[in-house]
Amino acid sequence: MASFAKACHLSARLTTRQLRQDAAARGFRTSAASMAAQNFTMPALSPTMTEGNIASWKVKEGDSFSAGDVLLEIETDKASMDVEAQDDGVMAKITKADGSKGIPVGTQIGVIAEVGDDLGSLEMPSEADAAPSSKKETSSQKLSEPKAEAPAKSSKSASSTKSSKPAKKQTKPLLPSVQALIHQKGLEQSDIDKMSPSGPNNRLLKGDVLAYLGSISDSYPSELSSKIAKLSHLDLSNIKLAAPAPKPAKKAEAVPGPAVEKDLEVAIPISMAQVIEVQQRIQKTLGVFMPLSTFIARATDVANDELPRSKTYKPSSDDLFNQVLGLNKVPSAGGARGNFLPQITALPGTAPTKGTKSAAKSADIIDILSGTTRRKVPTYSAKPGISASVNVFSVKVPKGDEKRAQVFLDRVKTVLEGEPGRLVL
Amino acid sequence: MFRSLLVPRVAVRSAFKQQSSLPTVVAPSAIARLSKRSYATEAEQDDLVVIGGGVAGYVAAIKAGQDGMKVTCIEKRGTLGGTCLNVGCIPSKALLNNSHLYHTILHDTKARGIEVGDVKLNLGTMMKAKETAVSGLTKGIEFLFKKNNVKYVKGTASFANEREVKVNLADGGEQTVSGKNFIIATGSEATPFPGLEIDEKRIITSTGAIALEKVPESMVVIGGGIIGLEMASVWSRLGSKVTIVEFLGQIGGPGMDAEIAKASQKILKKQGMEFKVNTKVMGGDVSGDKVKLQLESAKGGKEETVRHNHSGESQCNKCTDENMQIDAEVVLVAIGRRPYTAGLGLENIGLETDDKGRLVIDQEYRTKIPHIRVIGDCTFGPMLAHKAEEEAVAAIEYIQKGHGHVNYGAIPSVMYTHPEVAWVGQNEQEVKASGVKYKIGSFPFSANSRAKTNQDSDGLVKMIADAETDRILGVHIVGPGAGEMIAEATLAIEYGASSEDIGRTSHAHPTLSEAFKEAAMATYGKAIHY
Ligand SMILES: Cc1cc2nc3c(=O)[nH]c(=O)nc-3n(C[C@H](O)[C@H](O)[C@H](O)COP(=O)(O)OP(=O)(O)OC[C@H]3O[C@@H](n4cnc5c(N)ncnc54)[C@H](O)[C@@H]3O)c2cc1C
Repeated sequence: MASFAKACHLSARLTTRQLRQDAAARGFRTSAASMAAQNFTMPALSPTMTEGNIASWKVKEGDSFSAGDVLLEIETDKASMDVEAQDDGVMAKITKADGSKGIPVGTQIGVIAEVGDDLGSLEMPSEADAAPSSKKETSSQKLSEPKAEAPAKSSKSASSTKSSKPAKKQTKPLLPSVQALIHQKGLEQSDIDKMSPSGPNNRLLKGDVLAYLGSISDSYPSELSSKIAKLSHLDLSNIKLAAPAPKPAKKAEAVPGPAVEKDLEVAIPISMAQVIEVQQRIQKTLGVFMPLSTFIARATDVANDELPRSKTYKPSSDDLFNQVLGLNKVPSAGGARGNFLPQITALPGTAPTKGTKSAAKSADIIDILSGTTRRKVPTYSAKPGISASVNVFSVKVPKGDEKRAQVFLDRVKTVLEGEPGRLVL
Repeated sequence: MFRSLLVPRVAVRSAFKQQSSLPTVVAPSAIARLSKRSYATEAEQDDLVVIGGGVAGYVAAIKAGQDGMKVTCIEKRGTLGGTCLNVGCIPSKALLNNSHLYHTILHDTKARGIEVGDVKLNLGTMMKAKETAVSGLTKGIEFLFKKNNVKYVKGTASFANEREVKVNLADGGEQTVSGKNFIIATGSEATPFPGLEIDEKRIITSTGAIALEKVPESMVVIGGGIIGLEMASVWSRLGSKVTIVEFLGQIGGPGMDAEIAKASQKILKKQGMEFKVNTKVMGGDVSGDKVKLQLESAKGGKEETVRHNHSGESQCNKCTDENMQIDAEVVLVAIGRRPYTAGLGLENIGLETDDKGRLVIDQEYRTKIPHIRVIGDCTFGPMLAHKAEEEAVAAIEYIQKGHGHVNYGAIPSVMYTHPEVAWVGQNEQEVKASGVKYKIGSFPFSANSRAKTNQDSDGLVKMIADAETDRILGVHIVGPGAGEMIAEATLAIEYGASSEDIGRTSHAHPTLSEAFKEAAMATYGKAIHY
């Protein structure tokens, strides 16, 4: 999987989330800080990404950008991706230059301000603020398996003394359990604002209140969230690829003669003269032009009926399901419907004759042409399309099915050369 | 060389096309029919081509159509809706519901003060009712396709290259459909049992089991998973003597909570189904007028559940505890389902499957060819219709907007036996294995007022929550209406609720859902009524 990922160039719009979250966080700070710019951190572009390299920035410091602009290109061991902005903003500062390698997800790589912010007076967030924190972690839960349980995270929780996760103001109604605890313990709004929510979409859970109160460990709720978040993804680890499809039949054949083809071709010349005559008759009497393709389609349809059973036919359990359901025509004992579709190639003027009778008589089926015994037909040169006289109709079949194909083609011939008029009655 | 006579098919087609300027005047009806049977007119590229019209495929196609994409859906079955609507969820539930009514009327009316005269089963009509439900729903989807501008091509699709599929049209001919994006949603098929050839008459899969023409006098179900137990219920209620042979030590498959599985097995046994767990089917013999199966204890005869079964024969020298024989008129093979990708031409574009036949994808359902995605039964995750549906929506969102979301931790499972069994989240075995400390609260329906008034009070609600935070980790229910009740648990898990959140939420009285609330109360505190 890595190899294909490397080859492909993905475009990610992940900044959206990041920008929004940061913006939201910012909105809840005290007013003094509201002019602060936000950290722009290494995004997690895939569930398993833990670090990335900066291939190149597409904006310079001071550039403003709008939603959809590519900000930079990031490389991982698997892919290289464009990171787009979905909100408008200004690139206030770039802290990790082009070519920086191995930057952990969540590490500051730049600073973003809002359009119209005065970059000069802007309060720059410190890099430490951006150190991959468990906040980033939960915020990117949806994308990143918490298994990106970033070694960085533990280092952070080691360095940060208390809260495992920044507080978020709760904008949704509080859960009943949270409300109950708050009343029981006589907590206030200001306490709630200091709690670190671990629930989906930053919802404050009962466990978060318990952690705030110190009844359970501070980091436990977010650890549990990470575990639960892990279950929210398909487990695509340890995929054991199926052994490449065995092609024993072909291989075996390939030994004696390397030029052997897997499918055989069966071909037969068929004159369209009779069809054209009928076509003209219909046009004269009914005023309707019937394309040759219609005749051929119909002939194909008729000829496919009740063919001798394919040698390679083995009823799949699916066929049997369908049979029971009456969805398929139940193949009768003797034969089965084919689904041959002939390829048609016009033969140039060398048509043996115009007389349909003699063409039919000569019933000159070009021999079954297997890979080894392929006969040369040097005098004919290919010409796409249908000619008014003789055309070669051919089908490809797996070995063993030549008979079946022959019966099919013979029927097509009989119908088209004999009574094509009946096809459209 | 003769080979040189063959020209690329496209060239042939375009030659046809030039000639096919059909006038609108149509004479005999035969001509009208024929003229539709076109040789693939080369259509423009679609935004999206969906292969498979099952739940995964048709939902993706409709969603894409709603979002204004040019979309084609290719289905070979002849009707839309896939396994689920044609031979799965829908027909099985039709039979489950009606066989339950029949069984109730037959056995469970006297104690309720209802005296019923002659109760007769008309299996033909019961099957017809099922078919009416199925055809109504599948046609409904066809209508939704029209409404949302989804082109519907009936035929079998096979990849010619990364941008084109060849469709072997159901009514003859071939068509090439090309697209900017592809979704593979070819579903699954019943896993055959090695050595027993499915004929859908005597050795059947679920597809045969929803279409039997008469009630078999006896039936053996190989595999005690959800599908096996549902079908076992139908035929047992209609009068068949049903024995379920399960390799594992518990029924319901590995996802079911062990305690709930045990409780369910007890209840189903009371209804007349016979169970042989920890038992292996070694092989079968169909030569007689009954199918004979060779059984063996999966645990070397240690299990007490493995018993000798003679089905009437007075003596049988061969039989020992480890070597048993059982015979039945019909044998249902229900050992699971496997991804179905045959004939899809995967080899032509180099797509890989894993050792279980699942198409390999990433978290955004992309194959290694990024514009080809895979959803539903033919790839990873539980083989459930609602999971397929969620993925369909998410896949379209990924294509359109670059992000989508399915929470695999909150996908409910339901077994529609009576009583129903339903669960969501982790079961106790899994929580235990994960090392998380947990609390359990359970509440029996026998203590629920509504279940009592309904005289239908088998079962219990079991809730598992994290011991520290009280966050709900899993909910497991066996009992009346469990399948509907699990929706509340799913919502709770989706929102990260604690058991206390549920316990503090009002539930109407008298309803079965009070049992759910009480189980929650039992988890963080005490149930009131138990
Ligand atoms: C008896 C039974 C009962 C079930 N009950 C339930 C239930 O109660 N609840 C539940 O959630 N799930 C149930 N399931 C499972 C459910 O049916 C599947 O999970 C669901 O159908 C998966 O949808 P899908 O679209 O992935 O595949 P499918 O429904 O299998 O659809 C795939 C479709 O693709 C078509 N196809 C395949 N290859 C090609 C091709 N090359 N070209 C064109 N078309 C192709 C097939 O004909 C098929 O119609 C049940 C299954 C069975 C068998």
